[in-house]
Amino acid sequence: MAGTGKAHLRNGEALLRVEDLVVQFPVGRTGLVVNAVSGISLDVLKGETLGLVGESGCGKSTTGRAIMQLPRPNSGSVQFEGKELTAMAGDEMREARTRMQMIFQDPVSSLNPRRKVRDIVMEPLTIWDRGTKADRSKLVDRVLEEVGIDPQRASESQPHQFSGGQCQRISIARSLVLDPSLIICDEPVSALDVSVQAQVLNLLEDLKARYGLTMIFIAHDLAVVKNISDRVAVMYLGKICEVARSDDLYHEPAHHYTNVLLQSIPVPDPDVAVQRRAIEGEPPSPVLPPSGCRFHTRCPAAAARCSAEEPQLREIGDGHFVACHYPVHGGEAPVTVRSSGTAA
Amino acid sequence: MTAIITAPDHEVPATTELIAPKISRYKRMFPTVGVLLSWMFLLTLTFMAVFADYLPFIRSTQTVVKASGRSGVRFGFGPGFTAWFGTDTLGKDVFAKCIYGARVTLFVGVLATIIGLTIGGILGLAAGYFRGWVDRVVSILTDCLLALPPLLLAIILVFRLDDLKAKWSWISWLDRRWQITLTLGILAIAPLARIVRAQTLSLREREFVLAARSLGAKNGRIVVREILPNLIPTMMTVAFTGLGILIAAEGALAFLGLSVEIPTPTWGKLIDDNKNKIDVAWWAEIFPSLMLFLTVLAFSVIGDRLSRRFDIREAGV
Repeated sequence: MAGTGKAHLRNGEALLRVEDLVVQFPVGRTGLVVNAVSGISLDVLKGETLGLVGESGCGKSTTGRAIMQLPRPNSGSVQFEGKELTAMAGDEMREARTRMQMIFQDPVSSLNPRRKVRDIVMEPLTIWDRGTKADRSKLVDRVLEEVGIDPQRASESQPHQFSGGQCQRISIARSLVLDPSLIICDEPVSALDVSVQAQVLNLLEDLKARYGLTMIFIAHDLAVVKNISDRVAVMYLGKICEVARSDDLYHEPAHHYTNVLLQSIPVPDPDVAVQRRAIEGEPPSPVLPPSGCRFHTRCPAAAARCSAEEPQLREIGDGHFVACHYPVHGGEAPVTVRSSGTAA
Repeated sequence: MTAIITAPDHEVPATTELIAPKISRYKRMFPTVGVLLSWMFLLTLTFMAVFADYLPFIRSTQTVVKASGRSGVRFGFGPGFTAWFGTDTLGKDVFAKCIYGARVTLFVGVLATIIGLTIGGILGLAAGYFRGWVDRVVSILTDCLLALPPLLLAIILVFRLDDLKAKWSWISWLDRRWQITLTLGILAIAPLARIVRAQTLSLREREFVLAARSLGAKNGRIVVREILPNLIPTMMTVAFTGLGILIAAEGALAFLGLSVEIPTPTWGKLIDDNKNKIDVAWWAEIFPSLMLFLTVLAFSVIGDRLSRRFDIREAGV
């Protein structure tokens, strides 16, 4: 896979448009770099939820953070509400960040353990000095109630006095008070119990409907992403392999990686025979990624072409894009003139 | 009838279950005996040192003890009712000297800790938060300070400050007490800066710092609001433990003859003065040593307690 290309980007007004995003981290002083994100392109329309899935270390979270410019990407463009974020600096950047907010994986680590919960939720308003003190109080109380936290208790308790699920609700409240247009959820439920996961997911869906939020939902759990997302992008080793509407992706995965991922979802029925093919080996090192399709080292359908030529994202159905030469369905990719791929 | 009989059967385990957590919570909130004694000792000592001039049972350090026709000169009195800790070779009350000595010792210890904490804290915070060249410079500085033998550095500094004081009139206020405070304060910078730097390095990677940045907080606000509150427990703990060490260091300097000007007593000086007379009059040597020992111990016990207390809170997180 390793799909580059922008075939899946839609014309017209997108709230967020990411093109050829590259993020690299140096490995000590060796001169080598970790290719965390290698040229991915995304777009999110207003009111849409984009799911971003992939296994650990495939660059999902880095993508989310690079969109916020924390850290700044090495190259590529991020257009948010028509403005180019990568060119911004200083106060302009700080201002722009308030229009998008992030919810983190670890609900406890994302809240300062030594501050009162209500102050934490109030913090964004204090930083930007919005409204009068009374206005702020009223807004914070309303948002806290909306996410199901008692404002009274929040004003006298610290984060460790709340459960993980409650802490995540507090995080959500904090991200909502600035009234952002985009929320990046970085594995918001991975650290929670299944029952609490459902509550938080329901809350996110309610809020999404009520405020018309646009979300990027990062997760490694396909079942979680399926319910909340309109469109899902599957990532592998810093590249996008497949983009499709949520239902299409789950019913007819085209990429072999997506297929394997879906087959690895456990079926809670002891009578169902285990027939899934386990994926072999570990993901290759992002320091020296494989040539051609980055998945060819583990792909059940790999052929000679896969290690030589990098597949491009191409449309195989309505709004269904895949970066694979020999997808599960949708036919073999036409042979391109360039055989070395475009990433070089 | 049977209902009445069976009822207590159910209630007995219920009550024990209710009481058990109460006791453990009580135990956790209430300081242990050692900590309580430490606080009592330090508070009493501080109180007596501050109000020594007004307390009737503390003699002046300048008067020779005389009672029932006898003079206290040449260790005239042993520990007893007349002079609690006995008298020294000049006939002065050792107890009074211990209390007045605490003034200098506590002053030097507390102020040196504050100097070290402020400068070391700012350096460590800047190094840990900004990294890059700031970190390089601070690290080199602290490494240099740590590489020098502390006692040697202290001796050189005190002598040097003596010379400078004679040369420059604008530091004429810098008597030995301030010189020692300054010297010990400088010595305390390096270890404190290191600890604060390490702690800051780990805190700045926490997600709440990233969250604050994504909310648009500036560096100053992140440092003051997000990082500093999380550093305070560590700094408190280190300060209390360090205070004990600095007090002992002051004693060591005095033992080497680098103490405050002649009439003012300090514990270190008392120990130094009477070290050869221990066969004749153990009390003049042992009691100041005991005061020093107990004070250092008390600070360590409290520091230890503080670190555990904050640990529990961290574990609760």
